[in-house]
Amino acid sequence: MTPMQKLVLWRLAQLPLILLAVYTLTFVLVWVIPGNPLEQSEGRRPAPAVEAAMQAQWNLDDPWTFYWSYLGDISGVNWLLGNQQGAVFDFGPSLRHENWTVGELIGDQLPVSMTVGIAAILLALILGITAGTLGGLRPGRLIDGLTSGLTIIGVSIPAFVIAAALMLVGGVWLDWFPIGGWGSFAHVVLPAIALSLPFAAWIARLTRQGVIEQLQADYVRTVRAKGVSEHTVVLHHVLPNAMLPVLSYLGPATAAALTGSFVVEKVFAVPGLGMHFVDAVLSKDVTMIMGVVLTYSALLVLFNLAVDVLYAWIDPRVRVGASA
Amino acid sequence: MSKLLIPPAVLLLVLMALLSSDQDDTAADLVLASDSEIFTLDPQRMSWLADMRMGYALFEGLTKWDTTDFSCHPAVATGWTVSQDGRTWTFDLDPEARWSNGAPVTAHDFLWSWKRLLMPDTAADYTDLLHAIDGGEAFFTWRANALQNFDPTRDDAEALIQETDRRFADTVGLVALDDHRLQITLAHPVPYLLDLVAFAPLMPVYRPAVEGWPENPDLIHGWHLMQPPSWSDRQFVELNSKTGRIEADHHWARPGTLISNGPFSLDRWRYRRDLRLVRHPHRKDGADAPIQSVLVRSYPDPTTALLAYRSGEVDWLTGVSADMRRELVEARRVSDEQDPDLLTRSTHAKLAYGTEYVGFNCRPTLGDGRPNPFHDAGVRRAFAAATDKQTLVDMVSGLGDRVTGMFTPAGSIEHYNPQGGISFDIARAKEELAAAGWTYDSDGRLINGEGDTFPVVDLMYSTYSPRYQRLCTGLRDQWIRNLGVDVHLKGQDSKFFGADLREGNFMVARGGWYGDWGDPTTWLNMFRGDDGNNDRGFKHPDIETRLNEAKMMADQQARLQSMARIEEDLFQEHLPLIPICQLVDVSMYDPWKLQGMTKHPRLVQYVADITMVSPAPESDAP
Repeated sequence: MTPMQKLVLWRLAQLPLILLAVYTLTFVLVWVIPGNPLEQSEGRRPAPAVEAAMQAQWNLDDPWTFYWSYLGDISGVNWLLGNQQGAVFDFGPSLRHENWTVGELIGDQLPVSMTVGIAAILLALILGITAGTLGGLRPGRLIDGLTSGLTIIGVSIPAFVIAAALMLVGGVWLDWFPIGGWGSFAHVVLPAIALSLPFAAWIARLTRQGVIEQLQADYVRTVRAKGVSEHTVVLHHVLPNAMLPVLSYLGPATAAALTGSFVVEKVFAVPGLGMHFVDAVLSKDVTMIMGVVLTYSALLVLFNLAVDVLYAWIDPRVRVGASA
Repeated sequence: MSKLLIPPAVLLLVLMALLSSDQDDTAADLVLASDSEIFTLDPQRMSWLADMRMGYALFEGLTKWDTTDFSCHPAVATGWTVSQDGRTWTFDLDPEARWSNGAPVTAHDFLWSWKRLLMPDTAADYTDLLHAIDGGEAFFTWRANALQNFDPTRDDAEALIQETDRRFADTVGLVALDDHRLQITLAHPVPYLLDLVAFAPLMPVYRPAVEGWPENPDLIHGWHLMQPPSWSDRQFVELNSKTGRIEADHHWARPGTLISNGPFSLDRWRYRRDLRLVRHPHRKDGADAPIQSVLVRSYPDPTTALLAYRSGEVDWLTGVSADMRRELVEARRVSDEQDPDLLTRSTHAKLAYGTEYVGFNCRPTLGDGRPNPFHDAGVRRAFAAATDKQTLVDMVSGLGDRVTGMFTPAGSIEHYNPQGGISFDIARAKEELAAAGWTYDSDGRLINGEGDTFPVVDLMYSTYSPRYQRLCTGLRDQWIRNLGVDVHLKGQDSKFFGADLREGNFMVARGGWYGDWGDPTTWLNMFRGDDGNNDRGFKHPDIETRLNEAKMMADQQARLQSMARIEEDLFQEHLPLIPICQLVDVSMYDPWKLQGMTKHPRLVQYVADITMVSPAPESDAP
């Protein structure tokens, strides 16, 4: 077995343990929050007998029963034992939105968040690499100041300001894009831009740093001495090497972008998972919280693994296995 | 370099795939933006306004409210008779009424749906509505106890269900005299029954859909003529042999499986995206209505919803962003429905069937065991008299909320007019305090006979809306200035707020209440000692006795008068809470375009009543 195969197997073997730990931790945290998903904290309250009946239906009156029986449902154990029909990993219905199962909601909303997230990451790559390269090639000059300034702005302006500004300009003044909602390519543009800016800013900084370092490297001097055009030096020699830090950033960044942004989704009325997750926490929708947290965790682990594999494949100098 | 291009290329491919799989059109004759999300489309499980609005579009009860006055019209019921003592009602049902699959709507549908509402297994918020039916409360209690004490080693779930069915048939005052006649026997006279049966949780559902019966061509003649399939053949319910409970999967209330009898049927529902209604295929009343389809869009951010309205993407906005409300309402106040500005003429501020209040903990001791000064009604009256509601409301809202001395919004229930309340009067406040044993010492401190100073008043509110904080800040300043007491603000996240309220772990707390049906009971029941919504722990034998007496009165006029006297006493003498104002509801629709919007005192709006004026070219001129 190659070291690479070992790494992949080892990480995949860890996944269930990581998820179990996340499940347990989330379970504890959820149970510490006061209130329960079946009641409205403000407004009408059902009779105590009705409430007891509601609690009993979902084992909410007994944390331990809930912990084990739900673990059996979601891990596929109950399915293997034949106690459960339908889905293998059954997260059950959302306690707050009872006409839907958690699986359906995630299946419905994760692709939406992914669409915005991937579009944002691609946009961030284009913007970030361009700005970073321009700045890195002329450090200290006007163009560098300009791109660095934009980068700082991109990192520091909160998402809700960017989102509101984009909505005002693109949706209201220019009237080029619909005001929120989902269902066509036009709906993706503004949220994707809003979500991409902070990522673009980070990528620009990493690229600029990388370009400056690589330009000072000995091999670049050698290549230049051979009389290779500056264009080729940058595109074929400097950039590929300067991109390695960007690549390792891309793993967590993609995972973060895919899982959605509460603010961007809320402002643009994008029916994605990010907003639903925050709502689930606020309303203590236990099954939904569990479903989303475990999905996120699995995604994060898998993306990091994918990046490690890619990294080793693109840059054979990186040795895997030894420290995995 | 080429290898480096692979990750972005993969991402690009995934993006293209995602985009191409998720295209759709969202055309509809009427587009409305719901100010809150829709939780459920199952009538018996509804408790939110946005859910009920959909409930009234999809389902139809025995009666429906008139949205211009207080009367009730026939709906599925074409007529009714009531016995002399007001306790036996017989409803005649429309033999032409149909479910959206073409099957007849019968008395058995109501019977089964109401039984479902009453079963503890359903755990419905509004179960207690049916405690008014003879034997209803006893049936609920019996089944709840049976489930609580269920022992799988001893009891058989199937046998328990059979006994439950038998008991329901024998002891609960609901009978299907035939397919189209429903008889209701009440535990006490309910003069507002016609109003009550129009309420969403009492609308019928279609049993084969709710339980997920297998397809069967005979269903078209009525499910009640058939033997129900075995439990294992019912897709959406399960009889749990360990708990004895009927466990329902609420998955039926979705497009494809939801069968309805109202003006519309469900075409599509995508969570947090949109919900689309189309006219019911078997009803003649809507066949040539201008609005054949309705789209409900979800905008989690109210400002986005307002922008969408402004751009014409939305026809009716059911609620307006708190940040924008004041400005819009003020602009509208100096204008009218002819204003050329779309937003100005579209702003409609209407008094709602809701009251904002400040409630006292009335228990003898506080959550931490200290004696509670507000246990004394005199102290509560003093704090009420020290409250300048008008100034408070002007400062907090600016929407024209109507200051009130009573809890039930004035004029919202026909022939019900409790009068009075405690008005702003600092001198009276001090007299009340003195009578309760609290006097001012030479330093101006409020002390009792033992020389203890008045405890610091904790004023609790939920941080759910900035309005609550503004209200409580104003109130604190007034009480400090007018009474010389120390007041602390305690803003809580709504979860903690709710938990503290329920446990009696507060002194004074801000609250709001919306009535459900057109009778003072929807307002006054929470002042019963054992009511689930009696957060204040208020208990008074005289009030309890009089509420019970009123409950038994068959003469509606006398009953309402007696209820009015109870409410007057509650808010002049007992003051479990200080009513502040009647809340205002702000919505947006273009009066040049939409008609049929509600004038109902309780703002009931049937989506099916809305009509659209075809946009003639000259209507663009002011």
